[in-house]
Amino acid sequence: MKTYEVFLKKEGKDPFIHAGSVDAPDDEMALTYAREAYGRRSEGDQMWVVLRCNVLIADEVELEMADRTHKHNDGKLVAELRRTTLSDQS
Amino acid sequence: MVPSEEARKLVLSFADDELCVGQNHSWWIAIGPFLEEDLAFTSIAQDELGHARALYSLLTDDIDHLAYGRNHSEYRSAHIAEFLCHDWSSALVRHVLHDMAEQIRWSALTNSSWTALGETAQRALAEENFHIQHGLSLLRRLLSSDEGQKRLEPIVLSLAPYGREYFADCDEGLIDDGLLTISMADQERMWVDQVLETFDDFNISVDMGEETQSSGRSGIRSDDFATLHDEMTAVIQIDPNAQW
Repeated sequence: MKTYEVFLKKEGKDPFIHAGSVDAPDDEMALTYAREAYGRRSEGDQMWVVLRCNVLIADEVELEMADRTHKHNDGKLVAELRRTTLSDQS
Repeated sequence: MVPSEEARKLVLSFADDELCVGQNHSWWIAIGPFLEEDLAFTSIAQDELGHARALYSLLTDDIDHLAYGRNHSEYRSAHIAEFLCHDWSSALVRHVLHDMAEQIRWSALTNSSWTALGETAQRALAEENFHIQHGLSLLRRLLSSDEGQKRLEPIVLSLAPYGREYFADCDEGLIDDGLLTISMADQERMWVDQVLETFDDFNISVDMGEETQSSGRSGIRSDDFATLHDEMTAVIQIDPNAQW
């Protein structure tokens, strides 16, 4: 058995969203099982089924390191500065 | 149009086949060979029960009574549909034989002069493609291994001949009425060819026998029917007025 990851997309602008995974002996059965497990109530009108071993996995430590405070800038400081500068100019 | 007696019998046979197979498939709920197959197989069970319901509704307003309330001899199910198949090999082989037959039977009804029947057939046929795909890909996969071949071959050889009973209805007048567009004999030939070809790919040569072995259409029930019927009527026996 191989493990496959299943993604579903609804009509409209929503992106593909991970629905879950299935175990299946081959690609054909994977599509069959994915459809039954995640799409039998028309949860999506497009489906991607991907062999899990083909999914590239990013390094978790690097991901954790990427969490630095200056990346969370919500723009408040810049907005405040702009407001002050503009009012000074007028 | 007012459907003839033969037409109503044909629909009742089909409905009873679907009821029995749907009920039998549902036995596997939660105990299928693995989770994914459990979901897929019992979802098919639900589809078959839906087909039974749609067909009964063409014949009566009291579906529950028709489905559950008749004497055993009044059912018309084919014996292959009644077999309990409580081992997975039998359940899978019967699933494939049944759905191959179903696809042909619905195809013969999609353009029926009985409009409501034709519409039911069109809806059901759309589901059949998935059923067949599911059954055949798993069966082929298993037959490709020595172990699978060893376990499935004897089951195929013993069950296949019973499948002929799916086509044992009388179709006198039904072609002329436009109720049926493919005669029962032609449907049976199509099914036999398809079954022989499918298993020939795995060097299994099925002997279909000279004539239909079973007699479900004429009111004689298989040994398994009583158990199956008790199971499907368990709730209604406890509470005849139960609502669901």
